Amino acid sequence: MCEEGTPKSSRRSARLSSGASPDPKPPATAPPNASKLQPLSVDDLMLHGEPLSLDGLIASFPARRSQILELISLLGPLDSPMMPLFVYGGASTGKTSVVLQIFRHLNRPFIYCSLITCYSPRILFESVLNQLLLHRACESSRYASAKRCERPSDFVNLLREALGNLVNTLKGNVKSESTKSKTSRVNGNMIYLIFDHVEVAREWDMSSSVVPLLLNLHQILNMTEVGLIFISRASLDTFHSDTGFAEPFQVYFPAYNEEELRSIFMKDRAKSKLYNAFLDLVLPPFYRITRRVDELSVVFTPLFKKYCEPLDDVGTALSEEVKRKLFSHLQPYITMYMQTTFFSSEHLPNDTSAMKNEIVKKKKIAAKKEASEEIGFHMSTSARYLLISAFLASRNPATLDASLFDSTGGLDNRKRKRKVSEKSMEKKETKEQELLMKGPGTFPLERLLAIYQCLTSVIDYASDYENADSMDAEVCNNVLLPNIHLQLSSLCSANFISKGGSCPLEGSTRYRSTISEDMALKVARSLDFPLFKYMYRS
Amino acid sequence: MGAANVAEEAKRLLRTRITDPSFVFSFFSQNSNSNYSNLKYIISSSVTETCNNSALLMGPRGCGKIAILELVLEELMKEHPGMISVIKLNGLLHGDSKCAMKEIARQLCLEHELVFSKMASYDDNSTFLMSMLRECGLAHKTLVFVLDEFDLFTQGKQQLLYNLLDALQTLTSQAVVVGVSCRMDADQLLEKRVASRFSHRKLLFLHPSSEDLQRLTKHILQLSTDSGLPNDYVATFNTRLYKLLADEKFKGIIDTLAYVDATISHLLKFLFCAVSLLDSKSGILSLDIFKSALQRVQRQPKMESLKDCSILELYILVCIKRMEAKEQDTCNFNSMMKEYKSIHDTFQTSDYYARNVCLRAFEHLLDQHLLSFEDGKGHGQSTEFRPVKLLVTWPELHLALKSHRSCPTVLHKLMMDREG
Repeated sequence: MCEEGTPKSSRRSARLSSGASPDPKPPATAPPNASKLQPLSVDDLMLHGEPLSLDGLIASFPARRSQILELISLLGPLDSPMMPLFVYGGASTGKTSVVLQIFRHLNRPFIYCSLITCYSPRILFESVLNQLLLHRACESSRYASAKRCERPSDFVNLLREALGNLVNTLKGNVKSESTKSKTSRVNGNMIYLIFDHVEVAREWDMSSSVVPLLLNLHQILNMTEVGLIFISRASLDTFHSDTGFAEPFQVYFPAYNEEELRSIFMKDRAKSKLYNAFLDLVLPPFYRITRRVDELSVVFTPLFKKYCEPLDDVGTALSEEVKRKLFSHLQPYITMYMQTTFFSSEHLPNDTSAMKNEIVKKKKIAAKKEASEEIGFHMSTSARYLLISAFLASRNPATLDASLFDSTGGLDNRKRKRKVSEKSMEKKETKEQELLMKGPGTFPLERLLAIYQCLTSVIDYASDYENADSMDAEVCNNVLLPNIHLQLSSLCSANFISKGGSCPLEGSTRYRSTISEDMALKVARSLDFPLFKYMYRS
Repeated sequence: MGAANVAEEAKRLLRTRITDPSFVFSFFSQNSNSNYSNLKYIISSSVTETCNNSALLMGPRGCGKIAILELVLEELMKEHPGMISVIKLNGLLHGDSKCAMKEIARQLCLEHELVFSKMASYDDNSTFLMSMLRECGLAHKTLVFVLDEFDLFTQGKQQLLYNLLDALQTLTSQAVVVGVSCRMDADQLLEKRVASRFSHRKLLFLHPSSEDLQRLTKHILQLSTDSGLPNDYVATFNTRLYKLLADEKFKGIIDTLAYVDATISHLLKFLFCAVSLLDSKSGILSLDIFKSALQRVQRQPKMESLKDCSILELYILVCIKRMEAKEQDTCNFNSMMKEYKSIHDTFQTSDYYARNVCLRAFEHLLDQHLLSFEDGKGHGQSTEFRPVKLLVTWPELHLALKSHRSCPTVLHKLMMDREG
């Protein structure tokens, strides 16, 4: 599409697009997709789907019966005004889905905004207004919002106007229902605003004005046909405000207990005795670690696959003997999975043969080259050395540098002859332990460069020149200094090294390495560098 | 009307009443020495005697300051039609004086059907305001400025307050400035030049007494015969209600409610919950309904979060508590892991998990606000090294361990250890 009408567009166009040749097709024909997009109507403010009865709703959320009934009673009969609600509870306890499905069951129109997708006040305001004004972002207007709104005062004025119009439309719908056949499925003339993930607003820069604005919105608007619902992971007492706000009515979603978790996992597999037996094995141990459904389901899916492996036919009857066999097959996997964090299944070892080897070799020292031991991304050799130098600079106190790195580079192997007393050894040990507890220290740039030069000066160039790695190292050593600052800034933006404020006395910025010991060891291993010799109290 | 319909209709009616501040606070307009009458006198004297005035309404949130002001203005607009014009500003939205002036101009234009230009500058709006004040003064029309969240207007240079209060000093203008604030020291936040132009009339809105709360409950809940509901239902409802109000236990419930928070908004939340719990078959209020409403309104968020913890998370909390009891200055994740390991070595528990699993549970506790970081932004340090502090107390933790269903006995023993 060529850039016509540039005076109208307020954004700068890139050189490439403004120099594009004119479109060969006549510009009068509208793009073919535009006619297919219908303008939005009030019906689109509902959650679409088959009509949902109350029993269906309660059945689809196994452990949430009392919360569903409480919310429905607080929302009240059709067209009855409502106090703002504050729904809170831990993560993955079903707050958002229950609220939305309740609105589907009641067929009432609502606006939904999550403060994670709308990550700044302006985007939040514009999103709410877009939905209320039934605005559809289309290509011709460059996906712009209906109204540009940055300040809270503008937002409240536009909101009031938009809500007034919408309520009138809804009232008009209700009236016209009696005269002609029901074309709209929307119930009532109240509109509900749902704000999800309100707890992230506490960390925004404008939090001191946005949080009270949202929570006081009901009082500010003063419209009886508007209902407000806030969903949050944190309870209301963690929302600090200087002068307070009007407290909404709180509804709590507790975390699930063991029976409830079982009913949730068995929800679509009620007839599966196999899965029931599986849950008997895995649920009690994992329940002691976490009660969150999302974390448990990430672990249970691969475990169930492993559980079913020995069975030739999934439909075989489950006798005690079969159960015992399956249990003994699954047991090592359970122990292994319990020691990993509940991230996506990529992080969990997939290769069963490697895993079996590991169990066999458990007594031996950890194998050097396993699939999970490599760093998952590529780093140039100089960057790796820089990273190791940063790690050492953070780990070791500055006074140790002189003894570790002598003038020729490399480890200083002088043995200390003096015998130290036990008590001072103990004191030294506790001090060293405390230093480790406190975390990585900061270092100035000069120290980092000094350590880097010491380390790279002992790179072994003895290997033959055909080896690409050594060429790389030699090249990098020759073009040492100009690249360093570039490497350092890319390591900083990757968050491997963090840049602190400048020391008030010296005026130079201090850096701190933020990688863990495991990662540093991995990097060192990939370079065949004996890191533990240089580390302070490894 | 079917029984369910009657109950639903009654619910709707009562909910409309509870969420309508003018209905609720009309109860307070009957007393002759109340804030309502004082405020009415201040504003009406300005209207009738064509003088300027300013007042400050102070009181905790939920005590009806704005509601009573609205009632007064409504009454006066009925008594003196066309002679009062109201401009409402909110400190949360219009704290910046440029924004406030624009809003004043917009509202004035809306009221007097003039064309409002969004591009007008601060000076334009300011001159417009002055000329409007002059014109209204000549036409004997009073402008009432309502400044909600008054304390937020006193931040910065107080430009708007100075302009408004200065304008009141001229002879031709006829205006009233009413500030509404929840801070009891709002008048001391004013600058010297602004304070000297302010009349220092203060009206305090305080919590109603317990008897007033009981009477307010009756005022809100009793149904009248002209409410559109069948008469026999209204009669049964009312007799039941009066019996309940005279009951000592009900008075006890209202008193418990008032111990925590005696504001009217708290009472309204309680009544809202009670009305929504109204049985759809009988539609009659009972003591049980009020008791369960009380439970729902009085929450203990920390206890709820503690009850939601998994066993590993309880271990982490107990470890940090023990370290606190040993009076260790700073406690971070690493030192907590050391303590955890020592507990495992001493008691040979079965609950010894890997470091990254514990870190995840640690982060859960941070999300739930049972732990929090002691330093502000952390200076880029990772979660493992930053110092944390525990946000729950000994008795709360003890209670949570007792009520937890599958709490291991090790934890109980550890807690008992430190009791003495």
